[in-house]
Amino acid sequence: MTDPLITISEAVQNGDQEQVIKTVGVALKAGVPASALLEKALVPGIRALGEKFKNEEVFLPEVLIAIRAMNRGVEELKPHFTAEDAKKQYKEGTVVIGTVEGDLHDIGKNLVGMMLRANGFNVVDVGVDVSADSFISAAKENGADVVAMSGLLTTTITYMPTVIEGLKKAGLRDRVKIMVGGAPVTRQYADEIGVEGFAEDCASAVDEARRLMKL
Amino acid sequence: MTITFRERYLGVCHFERPGDLLLSGPNLIWVEALREWVKQGAPEEIMNFFFCQQYFQFDPLPRWLVEIRSGLEWWRGKVYDLGHGIRAGDWGTAPAYPGFVPKILEEDERTVVMIDGGGRKVKSFKQSEKMPMFLEYPVKDRASWKEYKKRLDPATPGRYPDDWDAYVRQINEQAKELPISLQVGGFFGYLREWMGLEPLLYMFYDDPALVEEMMDGMLYLEMEVVKRVVKDIKIDQATYWEDMCYKSGPMISPAMFRKFMMPRYKKLNDLLNSHGVDIIWVDSDGNLEQLIPLWLEVGVNYVWPLEVAAGNDAVALRKKYGKDLIMGGAIDKRVLARGKEAIREEVMSKVPFLVESGGYIPSVDHWVPPDVSFENYCFYVNTLREIAGLEKLSF
Repeated sequence: MTDPLITISEAVQNGDQEQVIKTVGVALKAGVPASALLEKALVPGIRALGEKFKNEEVFLPEVLIAIRAMNRGVEELKPHFTAEDAKKQYKEGTVVIGTVEGDLHDIGKNLVGMMLRANGFNVVDVGVDVSADSFISAAKENGADVVAMSGLLTTTITYMPTVIEGLKKAGLRDRVKIMVGGAPVTRQYADEIGVEGFAEDCASAVDEARRLMKL
Repeated sequence: MTITFRERYLGVCHFERPGDLLLSGPNLIWVEALREWVKQGAPEEIMNFFFCQQYFQFDPLPRWLVEIRSGLEWWRGKVYDLGHGIRAGDWGTAPAYPGFVPKILEEDERTVVMIDGGGRKVKSFKQSEKMPMFLEYPVKDRASWKEYKKRLDPATPGRYPDDWDAYVRQINEQAKELPISLQVGGFFGYLREWMGLEPLLYMFYDDPALVEEMMDGMLYLEMEVVKRVVKDIKIDQATYWEDMCYKSGPMISPAMFRKFMMPRYKKLNDLLNSHGVDIIWVDSDGNLEQLIPLWLEVGVNYVWPLEVAAGNDAVALRKKYGKDLIMGGAIDKRVLARGKEAIREEVMSKVPFLVESGGYIPSVDHWVPPDVSFENYCFYVNTLREIAGLEKLSF
């Protein structure tokens, strides 16, 4: 008999939500703990998919359907989670994510948010056209570990230093890591504005957030 | 005998005029940038597109047949005055015709939520041309596609100029001086405009037949448009609009591109080629590296704008593809904000080589943003003029 953990992981990678739901159901009935299905099947599945994306073996449609399949699996598991399991679901840390003031682009930000959430981060999406004050409030209220800022325009990413300055003034800069991304944003720009994190795309954003959590 | 711009343009695109630098861009500048330039000393008339082109003494653009509703209508779409200083065009999702009538749904001091000319619910900043936030799209499923498809009928009154014969005479007269360019849609960008990116990407897996049906709707319309136009007008260039890449590469896999899009490009480009159209341009932002060989395989041979921030390297592309690939753009817009030394380095590091190799028309790698000063832009123009062997302009 095929190992259900492998079947689920592969189904996530294939974006096969029906297979994920079916196999999760069978595994739960067979007594496999929900936490094991999350940690040993769904999460490894989405991580493997992230690696494939970085290696250009898969592209955005495959990422989207994989995340959807994983989310369907998590929904199936939720009623079976213990309080401890529920905590573990987002054990990687809390990320406040938004597109900076003056910018209404949301596709890149949404993809990064989805990938982070699927990879065990508690993601607080504060939307688009987000002021420094809103980033700061959300970071405070949610005990953010990371603030992630997105911008698609050369003229809006210049707002990122304003948010950084605001976090400093609010006394949060020492305990919050910052990562930035978006079409005109480069590692060099991240260095220039004094932030620790930069990601080219939604898969590397997960690696970068994990790296920042260890700093 | 003086050479016409048409001869120069075709000569450059056919790699027959090495060293000829065309200042025809397209040289596109955001309105916000122009507003800033006026504050910095530029004449107020610079806000007018045609004045601006003359002011910088740019070469003409090809004569785009924008009166035929077969693609984007960024210059000539109908503009609605919605009051409160808000204007909305019916451009954006053409060739769907007729467009939707824009209307405001709600507004606050900075933003407005409205139905735009493409039937999309969008949130925009007032007094800004920045891309809006898309909240809802007109095509959601098969039923809504069936409704929307009615707007892709090639025979819809208004798709062509009312007095076709007069239009043909006018274009054929202009064709003595200018290359003639026809928009021929696209198979990804427009579908995204109708459905939204995420729904479209899901649809490739959830209902691939619907994606193919939508692409076929576009193909049928454009084939019919081309057949009608070439009866009376000699087309030199055809243009696709796709915007289907981001900074790391294409939004769909090359395999998916090959399966869904290439057969349709092939069919349309074969028709274009059979009527002597051998300059076939695609406008796509982002990193084009993986798609260029596939576009070339089906006859799309001109890429623009080659965004540098997305990793496109025009010099490397020229070395790789030689005379198979015509290129436009490739000058980093971000550098224009940095200063004269950086601008000179950016331009000189690629433009002389590319112009000398032929098949290249320089321009900034997308619209010029407002952080570029008037002074820097003038310096950029004069740097290009220096390479072209033209006198510097005094601004």
